[in-house]
Amino acid sequence: MKANKFQSIFSKQNRIFQFLTFQFLILLSCLFYFSLSSANAQKIPVQISIFNQSTAIPFTRFFTTPVHLGLQVGTEFNYSKEYYSNFPQKSHHWFQTVNASYFYHKDLAQGIAVFSELGYEKRFKFGLALQALLGVGYLHTFSTQDEFALVDGVYKKKKDRGNGRLYPTFSLGAGYYLKPSEKYSTKLFVRYQSWAEYPYSPGFIPIMTHINFHVGYKFFVSK
Amino acid sequence: MFNQKINLVFPLLFFIVIFSSCKKSEELSENFYTCSPISNDSSQQNQNHQKYEEFMQQLVSKGIPSVSMTIYKETDGLWSGANGKADIFNDINLQSCHQTRVGSTVKMFTAVTVLKLVEEGKLNLDDKIADYVSESVISKLENADKATIRQLRNHSSGIYNYIQSLKFQTASLNDFEKTWQPEELLDYAYGQSAYFEVGEDVYYSNTNYILLGMLITEIENKPFYEVFEEKIFIPLNLKYTAFAAKNPVPKGLVRGYIDMYSNFNLTESTYKSGWDYFTADGGLLSNSHDLVIFFKALMNEEIINQNSLAEMLTVFEPKERDENFFPISYGLGIFKVETHKGTAYLHSGDAVGYYANMIYFPKDKTIISYAVNGNYGSLDQYISTKEAMTTFIDLVK
Repeated sequence: MKANKFQSIFSKQNRIFQFLTFQFLILLSCLFYFSLSSANAQKIPVQISIFNQSTAIPFTRFFTTPVHLGLQVGTEFNYSKEYYSNFPQKSHHWFQTVNASYFYHKDLAQGIAVFSELGYEKRFKFGLALQALLGVGYLHTFSTQDEFALVDGVYKKKKDRGNGRLYPTFSLGAGYYLKPSEKYSTKLFVRYQSWAEYPYSPGFIPIMTHINFHVGYKFFVSK
Repeated sequence: MFNQKINLVFPLLFFIVIFSSCKKSEELSENFYTCSPISNDSSQQNQNHQKYEEFMQQLVSKGIPSVSMTIYKETDGLWSGANGKADIFNDINLQSCHQTRVGSTVKMFTAVTVLKLVEEGKLNLDDKIADYVSESVISKLENADKATIRQLRNHSSGIYNYIQSLKFQTASLNDFEKTWQPEELLDYAYGQSAYFEVGEDVYYSNTNYILLGMLITEIENKPFYEVFEEKIFIPLNLKYTAFAAKNPVPKGLVRGYIDMYSNFNLTESTYKSGWDYFTADGGLLSNSHDLVIFFKALMNEEIINQNSLAEMLTVFEPKERDENFFPISYGLGIFKVETHKGTAYLHSGDAVGYYANMIYFPKDKTIISYAVNGNYGSLDQYISTKEAMTTFIDLVK
């Protein structure tokens, strides 16, 4: 039966995704541990943002309705070790983020993503900061409606185990350090994040693009 | 302190995940789906009854939620049947009399209505659409100032198809239950380059039929779908046929399903077809039975006269062939295809979660019409491809 052949292909794909997810989670755990370790003598940055998620062609839309809310939390560690020690003489740095995010789109799906980004920030003396981030991660989406699976030629309501996706991201952001002269100042920021989910609907819509508009807060905590 | 922050964040995340509950399916009783059985139905006595029933059962077992099929042969008369679930969640069996969405098959109704207006002397096929539709619309669509009504109808206007806009596709997914107005859809075609100079080639464009709907509304001074009712639905007694604009999801409408992730896992899409509720390029509610009644009356010159039908069936050849489909040429709101069983005329239609098709073989006046309540992903291979159509044709011919 052709149907079974398709199901077999997708089961195999799911197993590959599960394996990749496992590997990716291990990598993220290592990064997270490394970020905390590297910040041993420092304060640890934490970023929290809420965002509006939408399916859209990146950079064609800015903010869309209806709002599909999401929440992102993450931390980062510096590649430039002297950034904090030489602040404010060194006003830019490269860093790596580790994030988890969740979105809810009532007619399509809800998704949980874990991802890491390579970021660059330029910080100005008067408090403004500009960022660009390029990332990749894993997204697992779950249907927000009942799903019916074909079992022996009959559709039955099924427990949704979700679908795994590759999650590449590219973001541009701007923020303001509330105490510009302090290296561990808190920061308010907005971020335009464009991302894709692949595969989306094989044979129909191979890849789906999205945008998230974030409003967030960065703060430092002592370990 | 770090731990305290974490303690705040993760319960919040957890709370959102756990309590953002799924949108549950509607509980609907069998009474909700009660419909008037097709009158004078002699399907049980049809010599091919068993063969058609088995074919539908096979289709359903492959993953199509339900299929209704109506076949007219001069030798056997009319046969109608249905198989599968009109509503999976509530376990409702499909009946031939159930109403479903038939998408772009409405284009043939639009084309016929325009021909009726031509017969009534209210317009000419070679009039420019710009003579009837607002300048504010025409000026923003490349080629619209030069295209004639005939060129809109046979898709030789070259006007951009708004459905092809990736911005439209992502926007419609972003607000999946939005009810779009014609002007909002046209917005995605405004400023887009035409595919070719007017009349140089043919390229299917839904935008053409939005304009034709506007034309009918303008000439008759009432919504185009009311004109459909007066000129087609009522005279032909198409009692299962209506236009979505009057009631987009009426009582008893078959539930639609989509295989969004191509893995035979379906979600319901009954309320997600709002992009064509108000436009003449889609939005028809009907069933395979009424589509056959309509097609038969059309070809028997019971709706439009011989000259109008001849105009309708005069075809325009595309410059390039689609290798994945039968050789096709474009009539006025109808397609002519060269199948392995001879020449046929047809029009199909997609809506979100629904697909319908009607095929007419002039040589023996056989008509095949089918409607299903599932599409996209892994389902399309069984309903809308050349191979799928071949199986339907082989069944009947």
